[in-house]
Amino acid sequence: MRRNLSLLFRLLRIQIRSQLQYPASFVMEVLSQAMILGFFFVAFAVTLSQFGDIGGWTLGEVALLWGLAEFSFGMMDMIFSGFDYDAFGPLVIKGTFDQLLLRPVNITMQVLGSRFVLRRLGKIIEGLIIFIIGLSLANVDWTLGRILYIPVLIFCQVLFFGSLFIFGATTTFWTKERLEILNVFTYGGSEIMSYPMHIFPRAIRLLFSFVVPAIFLSYFPMVYILDKPNPLNMPVFTSFLAPFIAISMFWLSLKFWRFGIKNYQSTGS
Amino acid sequence: MNAFFATIHTSFRRQLTYRAANLSGLFTNLMFGFFRAAVLIALYKEQTSVNGLSINGAVTYAGLTQSLIGVMSFFHWYDLMHTVYDGRVGADLLRPINYFSYWLGIDIGRALGALIIRGLPLFLVFSVFYDITLPESLIQWNLFALSILFALLISFSWRFLVNLASFWTPNALGIGRFAFGLSWTLSGFYFPLALFPDWLANFCRLTPFGASLYFPIQVFIGNVQGAEIMQGFFIQVFWVVTLIILGHIVLAQGVKKLVIQGG
Repeated sequence: MRRNLSLLFRLLRIQIRSQLQYPASFVMEVLSQAMILGFFFVAFAVTLSQFGDIGGWTLGEVALLWGLAEFSFGMMDMIFSGFDYDAFGPLVIKGTFDQLLLRPVNITMQVLGSRFVLRRLGKIIEGLIIFIIGLSLANVDWTLGRILYIPVLIFCQVLFFGSLFIFGATTTFWTKERLEILNVFTYGGSEIMSYPMHIFPRAIRLLFSFVVPAIFLSYFPMVYILDKPNPLNMPVFTSFLAPFIAISMFWLSLKFWRFGIKNYQSTGS
Repeated sequence: MNAFFATIHTSFRRQLTYRAANLSGLFTNLMFGFFRAAVLIALYKEQTSVNGLSINGAVTYAGLTQSLIGVMSFFHWYDLMHTVYDGRVGADLLRPINYFSYWLGIDIGRALGALIIRGLPLFLVFSVFYDITLPESLIQWNLFALSILFALLISFSWRFLVNLASFWTPNALGIGRFAFGLSWTLSGFYFPLALFPDWLANFCRLTPFGASLYFPIQVFIGNVQGAEIMQGFFIQVFWVVTLIILGHIVLAQGVKKLVIQGG
């Protein structure tokens, strides 16, 4: 394990150094990414100003949901870059994945270390700014529990999105191509988590509660943190299921990943 | 001219062969259409119309934007850039057809294919779930078709220009990401421009992005009348002409700069 970890850090260091070869261009790209991604929230904010609230939630309250999801997704997208099915699919198609399997090193570590997209910092910065806007606009009755729950939630969301990436990468063992449908749960999941979820039709809510349990990682916890009315009449404990759900999903995704590797058949090309 | 139509035809057929990918994309865009529609419905609450945009119009807007993603290909389009980096551009420049027309042909074929197997089915399914607003007269349908044609020309010319950056720099992806990201916001893709404050909406309408997405949808849901329609078409024609001329000028400069690697 220690050998694996030190190898992982060495791989990541190489990745980071190569991406920082042109620092000025890197900084430009990160900032422009943050700005472009932030435009979605700006568009939402100016639209919301015509209406006042969405489902009884104010701009600041939605900003907390939005910022949290963007920040966590950005973190995950950086850490789990290797499992990004957009990049992992071609690895399987070209047969490059076979090379990784032949090396006497833990395969999960190799995939984790194979790619580390540092420019995702743009999304992380964007999420952070939106979250700070939320903090300054929303009236939150901060208790110690609520403050401590925020970092826990970030950790849980990173694991949650990460497990979706691992699951998505694993499916390419069979499909041999990236499936755009997965975007519904990853990027779509993060979009849905940016809103107070009771506004969505029942079918969408059920999909994101029981198939991909996104609702437990953003909406229910935020109902507790903001002390909002709960129109879905969920029991109070649902606000605290995030760690349980995130860890189980991550564990399941790793199981599926190992199952996929065991049944992996090379494309032979 | 024959070469141009042959290019359209081949590209159209190529697009139709990617059935699984198209179906998967269709479902994805449809789901996002549902998400966006739900957000708009939640915003409207009991109001039936805001800033002249009815709730049915807004929901139709959400479905149409998603239907047009594949057709206009405005999320990302780096096909030309890739040919510059792998050297195919050398052969493409030698073809007995104008380089711009060659890529335009490919794009029209791609767009037609995407319209038939992705855009139209998506909108039909979407219309089963929601009360949508359709054009009320044959004239309105024709105006919509014309505005979509201009929109595609604008969209393509913009993507062509952005991709030409690869003639100068070995990593034009970053420029592309920024350029496409800009178009998502200003085109009204995220939220209908009608719901923006007037000054912002008016600014977006004047950009090539507003002209290539927002305006055709406004025509479709009947949210523009008389002089405004004329004005919209004027802006569209202005951008078509400007971007095509610009594309040719930049291309002429780029060819002098181009260094072909690989091959």
